[in-house]
Amino acid sequence: MVEEIVLENVVKSFGRIRALDGVSLRVEKGEKVAILGPNGAGKTTLVRIISGQTRATSGKVEVMGKNPSTFSRELRRSMGFVSHNPMLYDELTAYENLKFYAKLYDADESRIPELLKKVKLYERRHSRVKTFSRGMKQRLAIARALIHNPEILILDEPTSGLDVEGRLELLNYLKAFEDRTILLTTHNMWEAEKLCERAVILMKGRVVKECSTREAERTYLELCGLEFD
Amino acid sequence: MGVKFLEIAWKDIVVEFRSKSTISLMVLFSLVTSMLFSITVPVAYAQSIGASLLWLIFIFVGMLGYARAFVREVELETLDGLRLAPVHPASILAGKMVYNLVLMLLTEAVVLPVFIGVFNMSIARPLLFLGIITLGNAAFVTAMSSLAILVIKSRSKELLLPVIAFPVIFPVVSSTVFALNMAVSGKVQGIEGPVKMIVSFAVIILAIAFLTSEYVFTD
Repeated sequence: MVEEIVLENVVKSFGRIRALDGVSLRVEKGEKVAILGPNGAGKTTLVRIISGQTRATSGKVEVMGKNPSTFSRELRRSMGFVSHNPMLYDELTAYENLKFYAKLYDADESRIPELLKKVKLYERRHSRVKTFSRGMKQRLAIARALIHNPEILILDEPTSGLDVEGRLELLNYLKAFEDRTILLTTHNMWEAEKLCERAVILMKGRVVKECSTREAERTYLELCGLEFD
Repeated sequence: MGVKFLEIAWKDIVVEFRSKSTISLMVLFSLVTSMLFSITVPVAYAQSIGASLLWLIFIFVGMLGYARAFVREVELETLDGLRLAPVHPASILAGKMVYNLVLMLLTEAVVLPVFIGVFNMSIARPLLFLGIITLGNAAFVTAMSSLAILVIKSRSKELLLPVIAFPVIFPVVSSTVFALNMAVSGKVQGIEGPVKMIVSFAVIILAIAFLTSEYVFTD
């Protein structure tokens, strides 16, 4: 199997604070991995390094054989990123937002209506994003991340702000991407299990355990010293 | 770079004209400052220092407005969207510069006739005057756009930008004032010197900004 994401001994410091302290991780092509951990564990920092938004202080980071912090059009085109921040322009309509990103990614604009229908925003395609609810913005953000059909999907708490129905719809939609590599950060064990096979538990900037997503909840609670009666 | 920088500039122009958050501020500030100068500066001095005052207005307005292109992306949390895209950071910077140039030209179009009318300025070489002020503004936009990316993460960005900008923009400020006064008076012999300085400054700043853009855009 081809290793698509390789991290070796990655350290990220912000001044005196070590957000990541020697993280090593390998993700194979087509694998779906959940990154779990409490707030401040370093999950978002980790995915920002993988996506190239943040530079590691030290260590090896490779995505598809390239360092993501060095600009590469090919690498950027193969990644889609969804976070709790939708990265949308409030004064543009839903359609305009997707059209803008399609142009940046050299993506096929004819996919926009289909994507809007999938995220159930087709009826509101000509409405400005500032009129959207949090959940609607998040759904549009997912369409934005998928406009260029990326091979690797990085999801940083993607269901943040969605109701139960919205979460389920999104997860079902993402499950359709069988052949994509998915990296998901979440607090929600149920989501992790639904979407991913493998879980990596991060605590205080270190990988403390790798296991299957089925075992992740019990393992995580044990590591936190918690019990659920 | 392709045409992606134009897509970014166009997006900013559309957003700006729907929100009118920056252009209205820039134009109003320019007009208010013009009125203030007209009240505080004796008419007798208007002809001799009018060009300098006009250029001061554009500098103040620029300090206020040109960083907004990046600040707004940070406030809306959309800068990450641009960073993730397969668009070279130099293209993002170029797009912001084009957008700021549009704002600058619109501000000029409103403020210039008002200022000249209020001060009753007589300009010996009006086309040359217009050309110099546009060139000076374009160089200023280049510098401010390049420096704005350095301060956007700071809490006191509006205060920090003028502080770091002033030593950088000094050559273009002094050269533009010098050339403008020559155009007002009509004594244009030697005007090539300051014009070359303005152009050289813009080219150097542009080159440095583009070469360092990739580093500056990554945390």
